[in-house]
Amino acid sequence: MSQVNRLQQGGRVDRSKPLTFTWNGKQFQGYQGDTLASAMLANGIKVVGRSFKYSRPRGIFGHGAEEANALMQLGVGKETIPNPRATQVELFNGLEASATNGWPNSDFDLMEWVGKIGGKMMPPGFYYKTFMWPEKMWMTYEKFIRKAAGYGKASLEADPDIYDKLNRHCDVMVVGAGPAGLAAALEAGRAGKRVILADEQNEFGGSLLASKQSVNGQPAAEWAEAAAAELAAMDNVVCLPRTTVFGYYDQNFLGALERRTDHEGMTAPSGSRQRIHRIRAHQVVLATGAIERPLVFANNDLPGVMLSGSVATYVNRFGVVPGNRAVVMTTNDSGYQTALDIHAAGRTVVAIVDTRHNPEGRLLDAARAAGITVKTGHAVIEAKGGKQVTDALVAPIDAAGDSVTGKPVSMSCDLIAVAGGWSPVVHLSCHTGSRPQWNDDIAAFVPGPSIQKQHLAGAIIGEYTTAGALNMGAAMGAEAAGAEAGSNYDCGDESVCPAQPMYLVPHTKSVMRAPKQFVDFQNDVTAAGITLANNEGFESIEHVKRYTAMGFGTDQGKTGNINGMAITAKNLGKTIAETGTTIFRPAYTPVTFGALGGRDIGDLLDPARHTAMHPWHVENGALFENVGQWKRPWYYPKAGETMQDTLNRECMAVRNSVGMVDASTLGKIDIQGKDAREFLNRVYTNAFSKLAPGKCRYGLMLKEDGMVFDDGVTACINDNHFVMTTTSGGAAAVMSWLEMWSQTEWPELEVYFTSVTDHWATCSFSGPNARKVLAKLCDDVDLSADAFKFMDWREGTVAGIKARIFRISFTGELAYEVNVPANQGLYMWQKIMAAGEEFGITPYGTETMHVLRAEKGYIIVGQDTDGSLTPQDCGMDWIVGKKKEFSFLGKRSFTRPDTARTDRKHLVGLKPIDPTVVIPEGSQAVADPNQPIPMDMLGHVTSSYWSECLGHGIAMGTVKNGFNMMGETVYFPQADGRVLAAEIVSPVFYDAKGERHHD
Amino acid sequence: MTSLHSPLAHVELPEAHAHAGVTLREDKFRGHLNLRGNPQDEAFTSAAEKVLGVALPTAPNSAVENDAVRVYWLCPNEWLLLVAEGAEGQTEADLRAAMEGQHIAVTDLSSGQTLINLSGENLPEVMMKSTVYDCHESNFPVGKAVQTTFAKAGATIYKCADGSYDLVIRRSFADYIFLWLKDACAEYGLAVQ
Amino acid sequence: MLHIYCPYCEELREEEEFSYSGEAHIARPTDPEALTDAEWGDYVFFRKNPRGLHHEMWNHAAGCRRYFNATRDTQSYEIHETYKMGEKPSVTSQGAAQ
Ligand SMILES: [Zn+2]
Repeated sequence: MSQVNRLQQGGRVDRSKPLTFTWNGKQFQGYQGDTLASAMLANGIKVVGRSFKYSRPRGIFGHGAEEANALMQLGVGKETIPNPRATQVELFNGLEASATNGWPNSDFDLMEWVGKIGGKMMPPGFYYKTFMWPEKMWMTYEKFIRKAAGYGKASLEADPDIYDKLNRHCDVMVVGAGPAGLAAALEAGRAGKRVILADEQNEFGGSLLASKQSVNGQPAAEWAEAAAAELAAMDNVVCLPRTTVFGYYDQNFLGALERRTDHEGMTAPSGSRQRIHRIRAHQVVLATGAIERPLVFANNDLPGVMLSGSVATYVNRFGVVPGNRAVVMTTNDSGYQTALDIHAAGRTVVAIVDTRHNPEGRLLDAARAAGITVKTGHAVIEAKGGKQVTDALVAPIDAAGDSVTGKPVSMSCDLIAVAGGWSPVVHLSCHTGSRPQWNDDIAAFVPGPSIQKQHLAGAIIGEYTTAGALNMGAAMGAEAAGAEAGSNYDCGDESVCPAQPMYLVPHTKSVMRAPKQFVDFQNDVTAAGITLANNEGFESIEHVKRYTAMGFGTDQGKTGNINGMAITAKNLGKTIAETGTTIFRPAYTPVTFGALGGRDIGDLLDPARHTAMHPWHVENGALFENVGQWKRPWYYPKAGETMQDTLNRECMAVRNSVGMVDASTLGKIDIQGKDAREFLNRVYTNAFSKLAPGKCRYGLMLKEDGMVFDDGVTACINDNHFVMTTTSGGAAAVMSWLEMWSQTEWPELEVYFTSVTDHWATCSFSGPNARKVLAKLCDDVDLSADAFKFMDWREGTVAGIKARIFRISFTGELAYEVNVPANQGLYMWQKIMAAGEEFGITPYGTETMHVLRAEKGYIIVGQDTDGSLTPQDCGMDWIVGKKKEFSFLGKRSFTRPDTARTDRKHLVGLKPIDPTVVIPEGSQAVADPNQPIPMDMLGHVTSSYWSECLGHGIAMGTVKNGFNMMGETVYFPQADGRVLAAEIVSPVFYDAKGERHHD
Repeated sequence: MTSLHSPLAHVELPEAHAHAGVTLREDKFRGHLNLRGNPQDEAFTSAAEKVLGVALPTAPNSAVENDAVRVYWLCPNEWLLLVAEGAEGQTEADLRAAMEGQHIAVTDLSSGQTLINLSGENLPEVMMKSTVYDCHESNFPVGKAVQTTFAKAGATIYKCADGSYDLVIRRSFADYIFLWLKDACAEYGLAVQ
Repeated sequence: MLHIYCPYCEELREEEEFSYSGEAHIARPTDPEALTDAEWGDYVFFRKNPRGLHHEMWNHAAGCRRYFNATRDTQSYEIHETYKMGEKPSVTSQGAAQ
């Protein structure tokens, strides 16, 4: 039984290139040029999956993006891909596909029986009513539903493929390469504009590829091939087949997903498998076409019920007739062409069932001439069958299409092709906020007004004739290019008889009693479900959508939405225009996470910034910590050491001899101009008026709300020149902050700021032997304690290199920071390490730096502060200038009643009662650990370490009213049930008098 | 042992590729100076021109050059000067002397950034992968200089007469940008000179 | 993704190059100490959140690093104009109402 439905000839498949594929483990054949769907239909495969809620058998229904049923699981193992539509998967040799849902398999489905019972318990509003309570049960329900309904499985292994992105720019972006899009691109391309033409299919042409019409005397498909070839030959045109424009964003920015190698196999042979094009276009032409609307009748979801235009596409483009005996049900002329195509293929057309009472015209004449039975004023009111259609129940209906007027007759058939009219693909135009508008002439929504530089051509605004689409495309392409259209197209007689809008086919029983009449196949939404929702009071279309789940999922209401809205409108006694429509959001069709991530993964996820000494740190076994984007040495373990061993060793080296940390990551801002001093006075809490050249000063920066924002040391180079340091993570924010005040508020101050963070490398070494180390390398600076004091800086020569030496300390020990141009940073670091060797100089990382500064009670902005602490809250009132003339940034907020409270959360030292304990950072402080939950929380631990030199744990944290609770005990209940206790103390645990760094 | 290490001194070269679609060359240790001043002040502009031998460019996104210096417009009162290795000290001193008493700033950034040159037939696509700026010749002619994003870092990109691009990048991001380029060029082959 | 005209670079640039800096035209009070708490609180904490035209400050962070202002429609995201610091908007809600 091979390819029972394949025609001997015709279509665009290559019968000399057979391809083998498997479906649910069984092997089948198709041809080069097939989609998975066309190959499955060629092999007579009817059931492709089970429905989400009722577990009903479902078959292939459409031929493109509108397909709601045929979601596949492709491939196995790490290459597996969940949920592509079979209609959009190009067949390749060895393709393995299986159903995403159906348990144990889609042909025999236990869940069908559960569904038959469960369906009654899963009415619309199912999610809200069932799953909203109890909330904690959701995970249990969800697992059950997913297992039962499927939806595919993602691989748990890493994807072997790569994905990338291109930023593209063009004059004219044409979306869709059907007749309108091709004609538009030709005009814009010939006008010399930079054009991008994208289409989701493997070849350009759209409906022309399955058309038996001619364009200016040339067969339509041939004309499309010639047009595509002309475009491909133009340097100024980028042709992107297999590319879905999935999103249309503000100011003509579009996202497009190109499937570069999906058609060649599960893994890309080389390069990227998929690519996102991020397109900025001056003008956009939307030529996205229209999707055929299904008809809502009883059991319309049975396999064998298909869209009429899709059937024609399978016949004409793929040489596949998906049935032997077809009933075509139509409300307009397009069903006739399908019937004629099936008939021409040698299969039986049982009847054309036309809901219109008095259709006429060339297509009706042609059908009758071909001997096809045409039943006017009739409708298929119900499909019959088990796993597939076996009969169509056909009955006469009244002219309005509201009721059945006679006795139904049964017609034996295995295919019901339905033509319910067309819905323009308005999705993209909605993405930028434009609401679709109802157009009575074509009984469909068309794109509404848009502020984008956007042009519409073809079926998207209801121009359904081929010549009309071509000519409109040419006109819009020319308009977008600012040129005159140079082409005129003729496709012969395309006259049609008016269509009849038909959103719900009447049945002999009421909507609530008739067999299920499906509106949304993917979400199992029925006409009865919508009616129930309306009866329950849901009137807004957005509410109906959410209550019934209509238009959810990967389908996004491509086929069902209009019928559902029309049914709602009718139930409410309104027009469709009054009821309105939900709008569509990106993505038009699903986009893989791989493509969205592109190359910004792994090492490229976020830039890793390196200091000049980075290679040394790597070579010497440092483990790294992320500080902002910087990679900073965290600690330097030696063989056999635990992390705590390393920290103890590094800390004691600094306390007893000398250690060195790479401080190059600190932000550094060069400030020049005669008003630099005044500017500093305004942005820092303390005064810089008297800071002399050669001196440094620590400063605290606040936001206008009075809260600490950054800190750092600023050195005076000369009266008009300062260098400010900032925190490593805050450098960019501080630079922007200074620029903002300079550019927007105080442009009269003569001052310029330049970031020099990357220019200077900083070797910071401290400990009682620091001076001896420096003395070995520097002989042109008097290093004596009296001549080069704490908080002084000197220019000197260190290891033969001109350097700026700052005598500042973040460890509480005698310390120097040697700054040299970063090109010489690595050399300087090595020279200092060599000079310090005799003193056992020890490189240390950020963790030891944190311990050492915490022993001294120095804060780290961003760790100990969180934007809610004033200087006073930090115990740093000493750094707030009381006499400064200018009301510096944040000062006024100190006297706000809330900020002035004396019982705010204060940053205090916390000494564990049990000296061996290190209280976990983030632990919440409470006064009474026996208070029932929820306890009153007083604050939390911000920093906490083991202090080797003190022999006990130390911590800093916020405690409400902490400054007034010195000596009192607070408690820290832990998740494991322990309760840790600490005494509130001064945060300065080590050398409280500050003698050591002054030595 | 040299005391100088450029920002890309440490990188591991990619595997040799029979055909290199893109070539990267680090023009290391150039002198980089940032200059600030008021372009409406004739004393400032004439002093700059006297020292540099070219007038400061005032058109946005432009650059000028002579044998000794290339000057990039960075914003209405900011320029980047690229001079030969080691010439930055003298240039800074000359500028300061010529602009004595004016509201200006001269800042040495020679160690804080580096210049890399990218060339090769696949460069257009690599630029599309790497920057949101439109590098099509109609928008990015020879001699234009643009500050924009490059991957997730920033760069000042200059289009050279031979069609190649000079990128001024920050030292700390150099390793990341190199990794990015190595990855982006993998399908075409990357040669490092 | 917005496409923003930098009035200093005199080009349309991609949104990635910019950072948003809040409502425009908020002058710092010249004498903060003379203000009541309520007045100071207005300046520090309260910002407009209109549906429609909004004057807002942007920074061309990855470009020329200049701050500038934009008149943007918060509903349609249309940017009606951008203008340099110190300049006044030409598109205002009063103007639009006329
Ligand atoms: Zn700019």
